[in-house]
Amino acid sequence: MDTAKKIVLFQCQWCLYAPEDQDWVDHHLPENVHLTKVPCTGRLDPLFILNAVQGGADGVMISGCVPEKCHFKEGNLSARRQMDEFSDFLNYVGYDEDRICFTWLDLQDRGRIQKDVAEFSKKVEALGKSHSLNTRSVLPQGGAHD
Amino acid sequence: MTELENRILAEAQRLLSENLADVVIAFKQADTPLRPQPAFFTDAEAVNDLVYNGLCQNNLANYLTRYPREKKIAMVVRGCESRSVNALVLENQHPRENLYLIGIPCEGIVDWRKIVEAVGEDVLSVQDQADIVVVRTPKGEFTLDRAALMHGSCLRCTQKNPLGTDVTIGKPVAEQDPHLLRERVKNFEALGIQTRYEYFRQESERCIRCYACREACPMCYCEECFVDHTGPRWTESGVTPAGMQGWHIIRAFHQTGRCTSCGACERACPMDIHMTYLTDKLNTDMYDKYQFVAGLDAKTQTPFAAFNLDDKNRFVAGGTSK
Repeated sequence: MDTAKKIVLFQCQWCLYAPEDQDWVDHHLPENVHLTKVPCTGRLDPLFILNAVQGGADGVMISGCVPEKCHFKEGNLSARRQMDEFSDFLNYVGYDEDRICFTWLDLQDRGRIQKDVAEFSKKVEALGKSHSLNTRSVLPQGGAHD
Repeated sequence: MTELENRILAEAQRLLSENLADVVIAFKQADTPLRPQPAFFTDAEAVNDLVYNGLCQNNLANYLTRYPREKKIAMVVRGCESRSVNALVLENQHPRENLYLIGIPCEGIVDWRKIVEAVGEDVLSVQDQADIVVVRTPKGEFTLDRAALMHGSCLRCTQKNPLGTDVTIGKPVAEQDPHLLRERVKNFEALGIQTRYEYFRQESERCIRCYACREACPMCYCEECFVDHTGPRWTESGVTPAGMQGWHIIRAFHQTGRCTSCGACERACPMDIHMTYLTDKLNTDMYDKYQFVAGLDAKTQTPFAAFNLDDKNRFVAGGTSK
């Protein structure tokens, strides 16, 4: 799996309505996809994305609920504006915005997350390894920065 | 003393003696002739050393958040500073009724670095006149063209005349073409992604993490900055590539919809790092996407604070759209 491109998936814990989908994300993700669950996409801070990118992520994927279906009413609305702008901004700085992908899942989108992850993996694979912003020094065991 | 300085001084003395303000924030001459320093006058008798010229490079709105809300603050503001004040009032940093703004239409700030480049570091005194700057050094007197010395942010300035002031001193000046900011961003975007990253890498590489940019910025008033936070530590705090790049990206991003492009960060930087190109991008984006310009008034919420369902079309089209 060394050659596979590293992808970080930020998943809103409410966006997968079907238990099978959630089970797939929890247990059967491809090995190169790292899962980070968040209580809502509104919890996402640009620093989370930046940390993933600096840690060497070749792609960042964010899955959340469609606008009207946010568990917290409007958490994802605030996230949308921020994340959209942040990916534009990273592109300006030098990290290809094609490497950042959003999927907004609705109630009837059963089985879509699998498709979207596969599609995005293919896209990142085609883009190749990312060479910008991946500057973070390797974390010591346990994870904390000095 | 120029006529303008005399009028500011008279106004400051009036405010203090009539008890209309507890403190007047303006500039006074410092030991460094290239950089007059911010001054806080509380006594009408002591206002005499007030100065105002193109070398006054700080954004005075920066000091607004350092006083309790009950304090009545009078402040000398130029175009960008008045916008910063508006943005701070919007964020409830000081009640507008406890502020008294002495507006001055701005002719642009003279970049002290450009003077140093032209005549060397040894400067005895500087005189800012209408079109020229006269610099006296041990080697003799130099007359420099003022337009060539202007700071980059002032060349792209869109708001030279102060907004929403209580009194305005001096004649209004003509505003510039508001597209100058966009032009800079477009030119940089046209460079290609590799060149852009290389430029950013080289700029951030010089950073010594002194946080002068943060201290100079009126909008950076958090009690605890994300870089100082230790549990969890959000970014590397040392002078490492990841730490320096992370600082510049997130510092700029935290200014989205709040930055007024005054350029105080760049003027404060001891390493001469170009960073306004980052906030310029965010400012143009905020205008393009949400028709928002920071600090035009103290009522309109910033795009990140005011979101609505109408946004959705830009995100859900095609599912995995970007």
